[in-house]
Amino acid sequence: MRFGTSLLAAAFVAVAGMAAAEDFPKGSVDYVIPFGPGGESDITARFQQPFFEKIYGEQLVVSYKPGGGGAVGWAQLNSMAGDGSVIMGINLPHIIIKPQQGDVGFQTEDLAAVYMFHYTPDAIVVKADSPFQTLEDLVSFAKDNPRQVIFSGSGKGSANHLAQVAFDGAADIETTYVSFQGTGASVTALLGGQVSAAWGYTTVGAAQGDAVRMLAVAMEERHPAFPDVPTFKELGYDLVSGAYRGIAVPNSASEEVRQQVSDAIEAINADPDFQKQMIDGGFALVDVGYGEEMDAFLSEKATGYISAAKAAGIIE
Amino acid sequence: MFDFLIAAVSPLNLMLALLGVAAGTIIGSIPGLTATMAVAVLVPLTFTMSPDSALILMGAIYTGAIYGGAYAAILLNTPGTPSAIATTFDGYPMAKRGDGDLAVSIACLASVIGGLVGALALLLLAPPLAEAALAFGPVEYFWLAVFGLSLISALSSGDFFKGVIGACFGLLIAMIGISETSAEVRFTFGSNTLLGGVETVSALIGLYCIPVLIDLVATPDRHLKMPEGKRGFRLFEAVGVVLKNKINVIRSSVIGTMVGALPGAGGSIAGLVAYSEARRSGKGDEKYGEGNPGGIIATESANNATVGGGFIPTLVLGIPGTPPDAVILGALLVQGVRTGPSLFADGASIVYTFIFGLLLATILMLPVGLLIGRFAYRAIVQAPKAALVPVVAFMTVIGAFAIRNSISDIAIMIVLGVIGWIAGKRGFSASPIVLGLILGRIAEQGFVQSWTIGDAIGNLWGQFFGRPLSLAIIALTVLTFLYPFWPRIIALFTKRTSEEHGERPALASGKAVVRDLLGFAAFAVIGTIAMRHTATLNPEAAVFPRTIAMAMLVFVALAVVRLFLTRRVTEERVAGSPLRMVSVPLLMLGAVLALPVLGFEIVAALLGVTLIFPAQHDRFTGRGWVILVGGVIVVTLGVTLLFSEGLGVPLP
Repeated sequence: MRFGTSLLAAAFVAVAGMAAAEDFPKGSVDYVIPFGPGGESDITARFQQPFFEKIYGEQLVVSYKPGGGGAVGWAQLNSMAGDGSVIMGINLPHIIIKPQQGDVGFQTEDLAAVYMFHYTPDAIVVKADSPFQTLEDLVSFAKDNPRQVIFSGSGKGSANHLAQVAFDGAADIETTYVSFQGTGASVTALLGGQVSAAWGYTTVGAAQGDAVRMLAVAMEERHPAFPDVPTFKELGYDLVSGAYRGIAVPNSASEEVRQQVSDAIEAINADPDFQKQMIDGGFALVDVGYGEEMDAFLSEKATGYISAAKAAGIIE
Repeated sequence: MFDFLIAAVSPLNLMLALLGVAAGTIIGSIPGLTATMAVAVLVPLTFTMSPDSALILMGAIYTGAIYGGAYAAILLNTPGTPSAIATTFDGYPMAKRGDGDLAVSIACLASVIGGLVGALALLLLAPPLAEAALAFGPVEYFWLAVFGLSLISALSSGDFFKGVIGACFGLLIAMIGISETSAEVRFTFGSNTLLGGVETVSALIGLYCIPVLIDLVATPDRHLKMPEGKRGFRLFEAVGVVLKNKINVIRSSVIGTMVGALPGAGGSIAGLVAYSEARRSGKGDEKYGEGNPGGIIATESANNATVGGGFIPTLVLGIPGTPPDAVILGALLVQGVRTGPSLFADGASIVYTFIFGLLLATILMLPVGLLIGRFAYRAIVQAPKAALVPVVAFMTVIGAFAIRNSISDIAIMIVLGVIGWIAGKRGFSASPIVLGLILGRIAEQGFVQSWTIGDAIGNLWGQFFGRPLSLAIIALTVLTFLYPFWPRIIALFTKRTSEEHGERPALASGKAVVRDLLGFAAFAVIGTIAMRHTATLNPEAAVFPRTIAMAMLVFVALAVVRLFLTRRVTEERVAGSPLRMVSVPLLMLGAVLALPVLGFEIVAALLGVTLIFPAQHDRFTGRGWVILVGGVIVVTLGVTLLFSEGLGVPLP
């Protein structure tokens, strides 16, 4: 009995010792983006890369695994190494909406989300020479001309698309939404005058500068980089939305590894230089760490996105 | 501006450009290794190295990789990158008749000229060209894809109906997976593997390279004709050919720059458009498609011009034209560069240094490319089949894997390869299938987007046929499409029957007719399954594949009617040992099954050694055997190391 207890104690100490010795990162960390290069997920990963190296002295190696609007990567995440050497980008609403549309190889609960580090608020963007000077111009035109306001946007069932459906409801208008593959293609259509406006993100305003005008942003407060652009809330539409991005690890990762990865991303988010780069780029920082905070955040967002998608007729 | 030129030609930068071009050329020549991968791995260097130098290195690798794609296209009929698809059309026939060295040198010259034109356009004309590119809307992208597809009439190798059926098959393959425009899951038949769709590069490798491998082992004939005596680079000959094609090379470079400046079109379309234009206006001793160097010149100058052209929207609009552009854009953003027209007005130094670096790398590509090309040519011409087949087969396996680290992509590649081989023997050549596969998604997106817009404004007809730019592309499409039938159309009007065509081919045997019917039946089944499947989809996701499936069934019916009327069959004879042929895909599939258990190193050696046997026709001495087996193992393991260590591909 005594022997058994001491053996147990010894084993416990050994395990604890091993756990304490579990440093993060053990070497370079693979950061898989489940999309192609050039999108918001890629750009922000590139922003994080040098800060990770600065803090840990190890490399964060970005690679791409595009396909199925992210589904290919997420479906494979849990078969990867759970020792903290692999992390993957995750996006809301994608990881919530996709599994609702049918079997896409993963369930939302399968993904071990450890940190959400920023979001790109939805925004209505028009070309600089557009006749729509304000959001009211656009709404009143749309009221008189149903379906004639044509929006480009990135993807179906995406943040842009859900925002279009929600705003149509809030303003009691009917507009047309044309889905493009990624923000780049959507903005190309806007700049080329192929569409009347775009449902994009605040990042579009930052990247395109004077070539475009943002009519409103879907944030609680105005974006620090665009103090002159009103929020939808100010204009009387209750719309706060966007695409949230974060990090997940394979679900074989221990609690400790999950916490360590979460801490690492938090540390990068806390760096003032990183913050400045993100805000200048039109991103909005959020800090949702691993644990109860994340669970609450995800379940709250899931309810909202799913009811919006149902209203949009994207899922049943 | 000369300050930047001087900054670009510092000794360190020169050396980096040289290294980058050489590395890029090698990377591009291995099917499956892409410029995107190489450039992505190098991004962190921009944090530690001076950003100028790192960017020059990245640009050099990108340029080199686009050129390197020509080697595999010419020597193995396998485009190393999708941009080099049209290089296979005339490059491989040239190599077969013993002119592979000349073809490689011509490709190098054309790539350098195209690269220079593209980079100069980037330097001098970027803002206006970016504006012009914006005139291309969804409709124009749709018609551009259709224009690319119109080449099938020329590429059907003797049987137009079979070409169209093949293209429909390729288009349907492109529809597999989650649709980008409607977010519907299509044609996956419950398989998670197919969710992400059929990966284009691995499908290309399968459709083009596996049939070559199967035919290689079948008979003891040499892969390519050996050159007689010692020959150099055949540089003067190559320069002569390029000079003869001077209009072609300039037109193709301009096409490449313009198509490159369209975000979302890319090198493969540029190459195809330039090829099709060259073919239509081409004169020359050989016919296009049978080894006319003009085809290589057109494709290679156009695809290298897309490098500079692609940076135009990337730097002016912040919208990357191609995946490598996107990676480089990311690196620039981290450096605090703000893209936009002002970038060129203010003359931000880092961008100019990059452009001059690109020019420099393109010039350096001439000596580097000629040297590496010479080496690649000799290696492939002189290697015995017993060494060539195992090494190339293993490269296709690891290459298909590395694109997105997926073992199922290897299996899909092999299965498509076998389908491509059988279809090829039945007269359905691979190129129309590949055109469908490459252009299907672009065509569908443009079509659905235009439809949505046209429907909203209540003017569908005007949307598709009322825009001047669209009409111009449609006119070119019709011309290209009808061109191969031109002699017959003229004959129709001059009331002369086709007597001058000479003797008519003999009527096919009953067995051949049955074989042909079986081929058509297979495609009819595929078309029917696709038709039935579209009934379960929402209208947006269904409209395009349903149209294609319907077209496929119509053409199958037409082809069957024609078969009974004319009793003529286009097919290729199967020659050689069936056992050897079958063993190639079987051994490769075995390797796929063994991969998760044994890992790449052991599988590399095993697959290499076992494939020696079906490929071995020559007699070797004991010492010869040791060299052969040892050589194959060393090369396959070396390639494995290059992937895992050099490019950070996580291999199981």
